[in-house]
Amino acid sequence: MSETKAKTAVKAPKRGMDANTSAKIATVLMMFPAVLLLCVVSIYPFLWLFRYVFYDYNGMTSYFTGLHNFTRMFGDTAFWASVGHTFEYAILKIIFIIPLALIMAELMSQKIRGSGVFRVIYFMPTIISTAISAMVFGFIFAAYNGVLNAVLRATGIISQNINWLGDSNTAMWAVLIVAVWGGFGNYMIYFMSGLSSIPHDVYESAMIDGAGGLTTFFRITLPMLSPMFKVIMMLAITAAFKDYESIMVLTQGGPDNRTQVMFLYIYQLLFGTSTTKPQIGYACVLSLVAAIIVGIVTGLYMLLARKLDDVM
Amino acid sequence: MFKKESSGEVMSTSTHVARFILFLFMLIVALLTLYPVLYVVFGSFKENGELLIGGINMFPKVWIVDNFIEAWQKADFSVYTINSVIIAVGVMILSLISSGMAGYVLSRRNFKGKKLIYGLLMAFMFINVGSVSLRPLFELAISLHLNTSLFSVIFISAGTAQATYIFLVDSYMKTLPKELDEAATIDGCTFFQVYIHIILPLLRPILATVALLSFRGGWNEYILPLVFTMTDQAKRPLTVGVTMLKNSGDGAAAWNIMFAGATIAIIPILLIYIVASKYFIEGLTGGAVKG
Repeated sequence: MSETKAKTAVKAPKRGMDANTSAKIATVLMMFPAVLLLCVVSIYPFLWLFRYVFYDYNGMTSYFTGLHNFTRMFGDTAFWASVGHTFEYAILKIIFIIPLALIMAELMSQKIRGSGVFRVIYFMPTIISTAISAMVFGFIFAAYNGVLNAVLRATGIISQNINWLGDSNTAMWAVLIVAVWGGFGNYMIYFMSGLSSIPHDVYESAMIDGAGGLTTFFRITLPMLSPMFKVIMMLAITAAFKDYESIMVLTQGGPDNRTQVMFLYIYQLLFGTSTTKPQIGYACVLSLVAAIIVGIVTGLYMLLARKLDDVM
Repeated sequence: MFKKESSGEVMSTSTHVARFILFLFMLIVALLTLYPVLYVVFGSFKENGELLIGGINMFPKVWIVDNFIEAWQKADFSVYTINSVIIAVGVMILSLISSGMAGYVLSRRNFKGKKLIYGLLMAFMFINVGSVSLRPLFELAISLHLNTSLFSVIFISAGTAQATYIFLVDSYMKTLPKELDEAATIDGCTFFQVYIHIILPLLRPILATVALLSFRGGWNEYILPLVFTMTDQAKRPLTVGVTMLKNSGDGAAAWNIMFAGATIAIIPILLIYIVASKYFIEGLTGGAVKG
């Protein structure tokens, strides 16, 4: 009896240590799937990038070409044009999507009849595959049998069909319409969550002071929203620079590279097109540059946001 | 819209009118948002001749289901659909396993390298090298002989999105009192048993969100399976199969098949969304802004 007691007494601290080590082992094992995914899917490809920066690599054979990929980049007008288009696309997308999302979020907070249903509808495009919705818009924009031209002709707005995706004057706008359609619900939800965090009594006191709808919006809602607004803008900027999936389906960068954005250009270098072979080493250099460009834009934005803070 | 608001400001008696105008505005935006989806869904019941002529009619002159039958039987859409389901379910299961456990461990334990893991997860949400990461992963898959299996697509899709889900679970964990773990530990539960018996049931709401978001992510994946199934048609999901049709020469005229295919790709995820829209919307604000 006393012997068993002694045994458990001896065992007790040992079991405690065991529990500790077993918890450590459990920690490692439980983190394993996430860490494995992180290493393989995120870290490994990023490091791989640097391996071919000085090489000409077509997927089969690679040659050391020194700094050639870098000098080529500086003379590559198609790439710099795609960088220009990326900025054009991103800026225009943000100019349209952010105010629209904010207006819709503000309307949602007015508790108008049907708000719940509208919220579900506005958010719906974000649920659908970008590739599929881009293809559907491809049908809508089609030059000969597209419904957009049919509607515009029926209402007398145009007399001749417009080749929305094939004309360099309209292609970028067509791409932007798809982007705004597919994304405004996303930012609306962000803004709604920002608006709901503004305390209600602020609005009440504004009402007592006789502030109208617009005054309240610009003097109270916007400033109170500002911290959240900055985060949302940041998300919007990084997302807008990344987009290329829908452009790939809609125009493949055409017509005449008019909608060619940098990540699509890089994709075509990486995997080749029907007429060109992969140029992987060069694509690695360009994607590093693209990542740096996005990084600089984000950095500048954060700096600007801080400056605005000081002013306001 | 600003005009409308200011008219409400001038006369409070006309508030009802103002609100009605706002309602109309919201209705128009809603109809514009819905239109492309309705257009393709109703269009998929049209005859190809009607689609090729065009016109402004949303509803078919003659309702037919042949497009679906043709797409399903002749254009391999049954295979594409099965592949889409495999990818979506696979991504969902892997995401639930990895994010549930990682979120729990990260919020409850201190260990060496924890900050590093946090930092890397966060950094790779922002560092973006675009499609470049697909190339090494593609070559890795080839060398492991996994390039023709949907497993690589599932693995990569889950890996790309996991940070968001981990942060969702991590921030949800903060709402669960630590006393629960402590009580269970005193009762003799190991660290892992606490997770299985105590935490997992409580994580159900947030894991439902993770499940839906990751299922959607897998279902909608496009460029990744496009790259991995470039030479293997039998492994293509719907997104790739349908859009490939558009680019192929003889498919360009087969609008009816493409409409049916797009509808097959849209409807399942749309139904899930209609039933569970709350989780999708809450998942967005819970993860990206707060987390």
